[in-house]
Amino acid sequence: MLRHGFRAMGTEVELVLDADDGAPALAEAEHEFRRLETLLSRFLPDSELSRLNRKGTLRVGPELSELVRLSLAARDETGGRFDPTVHDALVAAGYDRTFELVAGGTPGTQARPQCGGRVTIDDSGIVTLEPGYRLDLGGVAKGWAADGALALLSQSGPALVNAGGDVACAGRPWPVGVTTPAGNVTLELDGGALATSGRDRRRWIQDGVERHHLIDPSTGLPAETDLLTVTASASTAAEAEILAKSLFLSGTAEQAAAEADERGTPTVLVTCNGRTLLAGGLR
Amino acid sequence: MTNHVTRLYALAASLLGFFLAWAGIAAHPWSRPQAGDPRTQAAASYEQRLRRDAVLVRQLVAQGQTRAAAPTVRIVTLPPLTTTRTS
Repeated sequence: MLRHGFRAMGTEVELVLDADDGAPALAEAEHEFRRLETLLSRFLPDSELSRLNRKGTLRVGPELSELVRLSLAARDETGGRFDPTVHDALVAAGYDRTFELVAGGTPGTQARPQCGGRVTIDDSGIVTLEPGYRLDLGGVAKGWAADGALALLSQSGPALVNAGGDVACAGRPWPVGVTTPAGNVTLELDGGALATSGRDRRRWIQDGVERHHLIDPSTGLPAETDLLTVTASASTAAEAEILAKSLFLSGTAEQAAAEADERGTPTVLVTCNGRTLLAGGLR
Repeated sequence: MTNHVTRLYALAASLLGFFLAWAGIAAHPWSRPQAGDPRTQAAASYEQRLRRDAVLVRQLVAQGQTRAAAPTVRIVTLPPLTTTRTS
């Protein structure tokens, strides 16, 4: 069993490959992560995403084009709970630099929070943003990169990718831990992916108020909920990211559990007061 | 008269032959193509590789999405190999 760790996209990435001669595949998967980071990070001024956000209109490459389409479809499917145009609301909440700098406590810039901006993309890959709106693809880009890296790795054998909590695996069942107040719950994942959204990390103090990175697009502010974390499974890490975020923004833990049951999405929910709920068929 | 016309054709044919030979020699068909700037060549080759990789990844991800439409998840008592957390 080969394991390889590195830092990319503002988080720790772990690659696991069950193959004797998997070193080249691990290197290739790391290379893919770094390549996607240079395209999709909002913190790198020369990334394709940053150039799109600056210009408002740009002919983008196949990766950003596909991710924008995926994000817009997710916005439709989640009724707007998942919204790639939360960029300025995140900035207004203080998340205007990499999280390492935000957590350092230096003051951020203020901007008017707004979400739900119009985004169009044509067949030639020209993306146009409504004036005043910019894109943040942070979590879903990380999940999408995990899916891409897994696709490369799994050509060499059973494999697992963990990109800061976005876990995608293939080839055989893999035991993946979910942290709860009562201890770890281990989920055996036979292909597919898991992702966790929550406010237990990536939170900070702004003007004496605790903020976190999960913006409710209906208010443009960090979401108010009794949920601490939501771990959801799906066929891909990008989809699991979207589902976990959408369930987190459903209002309350009970509503999120009922929604996961209705969808049949295996989900682990942890509330702020330490309760753990299993939903979507998990027992 | 006939000789005069023949001489003109012969002259034109000679000129054409001369210029064709000149163009052929000027093209240096015996020399190898210019190697060019190695950095440009390396960048072009790198770009080609990235494009190939991008296409491959998209194809593989699409295949994976088709294959793993319904992941099986269950609670077990095994120690976890890795842990998911807020990303």
